[in-house]
Amino acid sequence: MSTTLAIDLPDFLPAEHDSHPRHIEIVSTRSQKRARPRVIYALVAVAGLFVILMGQLVLSIWLSDGAYQISGLQQTQRDLSRDQQALGESLNVLQSPQNLAGQASALGMVMNTGSQGFLSLSGGVTRAPTAATADTTVAADAAIYTPNALITPDISALGAAAAAAAAAVGTGAPAASTGAGSVASTPGAPAQTVLPSPITH
Amino acid sequence: MTNPRRSRRRLALAIVVVFAVVGIFAVRLVDIQLVRADQLTADSLGKRAVKTPTYAARGAIVDTNGVVLADSVNRFDLTVSPANIALIDAAGFLRRAKDGTTSRVTVMQAATEIANLTKQDPATIFSSLTKNPTSNYAMVSKSVDLATKRAIEKLKIPGTIFKLHPRRTYPNGAVAGNLTGFMSTDGPGGGLELGDDKSCLGSTSGSTTYEQGADGVQIPGSEVINTASKPGGTLKLSIDSDLQWFALQAIAEQGTAIGAQSATAIVLRIKDFHLMAVADWPPVDPNNVDGSDLANYGSHAFTAQYEPGSVFKAMSAAMLIDTGIGSPAMQAVVPSHWVTPEGSTVNDATPHPEQHLTLTGVLQNSSNVGISKLGSQVPEKTRLDYMKKFGLGQATAVGFPGEATGLINKLPWDNQTHYNVLYGQGVSATALQVAQIFATLGNGGVRLPTTLVESCTKADGTVTGVPSATGTRVVSERTAKTVVNMLESVVQAGELSQAVKIPGYRVAGKSGTAEVASNGGYTGDRVVSFAGIAPAEDPQYVVVVTYTKPATIKSSAAAAPTFKKIMSQVLTKYRVPPSTSPSTYPATTW
Repeated sequence: MSTTLAIDLPDFLPAEHDSHPRHIEIVSTRSQKRARPRVIYALVAVAGLFVILMGQLVLSIWLSDGAYQISGLQQTQRDLSRDQQALGESLNVLQSPQNLAGQASALGMVMNTGSQGFLSLSGGVTRAPTAATADTTVAADAAIYTPNALITPDISALGAAAAAAAAAVGTGAPAASTGAGSVASTPGAPAQTVLPSPITH
Repeated sequence: MTNPRRSRRRLALAIVVVFAVVGIFAVRLVDIQLVRADQLTADSLGKRAVKTPTYAARGAIVDTNGVVLADSVNRFDLTVSPANIALIDAAGFLRRAKDGTTSRVTVMQAATEIANLTKQDPATIFSSLTKNPTSNYAMVSKSVDLATKRAIEKLKIPGTIFKLHPRRTYPNGAVAGNLTGFMSTDGPGGGLELGDDKSCLGSTSGSTTYEQGADGVQIPGSEVINTASKPGGTLKLSIDSDLQWFALQAIAEQGTAIGAQSATAIVLRIKDFHLMAVADWPPVDPNNVDGSDLANYGSHAFTAQYEPGSVFKAMSAAMLIDTGIGSPAMQAVVPSHWVTPEGSTVNDATPHPEQHLTLTGVLQNSSNVGISKLGSQVPEKTRLDYMKKFGLGQATAVGFPGEATGLINKLPWDNQTHYNVLYGQGVSATALQVAQIFATLGNGGVRLPTTLVESCTKADGTVTGVPSATGTRVVSERTAKTVVNMLESVVQAGELSQAVKIPGYRVAGKSGTAEVASNGGYTGDRVVSFAGIAPAEDPQYVVVVTYTKPATIKSSAAAAPTFKKIMSQVLTKYRVPPSTSPSTYPATTW
């Protein structure tokens, strides 16, 4: 109950002489109660904030852990690529012509530039392979002619070991090449210039 | 009792104090962020961030099939920190084995273990470990490979650090050592390593900055690449390394047998003037340059100019026929000794009775007198023009480091040179230029740019350095075909025909026994050579073999068997079908 009129309070209030003072409680009205913000919202906001902060912390821990993992994997990748390079290096040396020819000749193989034959379509031999002679080979024990410092003694020993193994199996010496018994290969001796044609009806 | 004025004063005082504090902070802020920013940043980076150079590998050199001729491989330098070693007491450091047992390892033991792996002297290693106990750096072993590095790492010796130090390796050894050159401690030493260093092979280093924690461990993910390093490009040659090896073996065998000072062999594919093999003997193994004489470094096929001798008769005959002045049947009366109208003398290699030879016969018999009598009918200026068009007197399109151009005397030629040039004396050329001449004749008279380097593939994939394919017309196609046909007479019935004939194929060729000039005169030494084209009816390959200053066989009979060997290998390797028609050539006598 309020009024707009000014109330002039007395200078002092009469003393209360009640032996039983009345217990007065101030309670909020219903509208005041409705207007009050609910605790649950605050709790949710603070909890949400807390969750976000925790989430951020966990994410950043996870990220740095991932970074260490990446670093570890990169290290592995680097080691593997170094392995690959080292193996490639060995392969290149084993593939060098000095090594291949040396090992082949240790196995008993013979180089022959005349080893190729040609047949014509009509069935004749236009060029027969010829036997290996001094004319058709080069020395395969390459070290003295075309040195390769990377072929170490243990690499060239591989050929000798293989030759010993082959000899133990008993393969024997390579058979002599067919020799000159076949058609003499002079230029300009085509067997037949006419191709056989199919017979149709 | 609240006094409004006093509370206002307190409020004002509080505001002033707040502003003062803010002011102090602002001044401090400006001081740190603006005034001393650079110095503080530098200080902090020095304490936290580390700048390291990054290296990229040098480019590889490969042959036409991709076989690696030169490559950069990982090697590691083993360094130690002697200060750390000094902290190890006399009993040794603790080493924990995989099964958990521990053992004490003294420094001497550690040095011996390292020495066993790197094949060094244990005493040397021990002294480098202990010599300077206060220093932080000492080199122990250079250039250990990956397996050795891993084995040394397993030893867990404290204070050892490996630094990556790439090294150049040449897996095929001396096969292409004359062409690739080598890498020395000062950088490229000759050959394509030097010539194509800037344009293709060289790599540029970059730098990255990473941050490290207080214990010196790199913080992962903190790298910032300041400048990226760029690896070198791959240089692809037209050489076939297997054929190069074969050619080198062939000339090495024969060169040793006849006691020659040096030898070269060149195989050129006529279709596109690609060099399939350029072999020089004695060879250089770039893995072990100290094992060869300094004089043998590089490719003499490119750099040595000499008087080629009778191989030039093919060019002289081509000049005669192309100008129309001569023909294969052009007749000459040929004594073995001739005094020219100008007073100079021309001699044949061996004395013989007077012969009636055609131009073809002159080539077959390799008669100096014959070619002089006939070839001198072409004016000097015309001959000089032809020689230039054939590529003499100028470097080839290859541009090899140190390539020689050859020398042609200026016009007018003196009375002797007027005739000498016709049979390849009094003019100098390289073996490459001789091959070029024969390839031009085989290619129907068109000279294409000679190619050694096919391309350069840079790290980002761009391909550069592909040579042009435009040719120069030197003689007419008919002339070229005619001359090649005439040269078949040399192989079929010439002096060396038994040594040079290849069964199943028509081969054209020309021998050359040239005198070596010295101090204004000619010595007893010879440069013997044989140049040939096969198959003659459809030329595909040119092979030129030369031997310099042989001791025993001083005629081209020394070069002929090597030519046959190499040309047979070329024809077999590249599956050239045999000739279907017999070899016929114009009449040699009249």
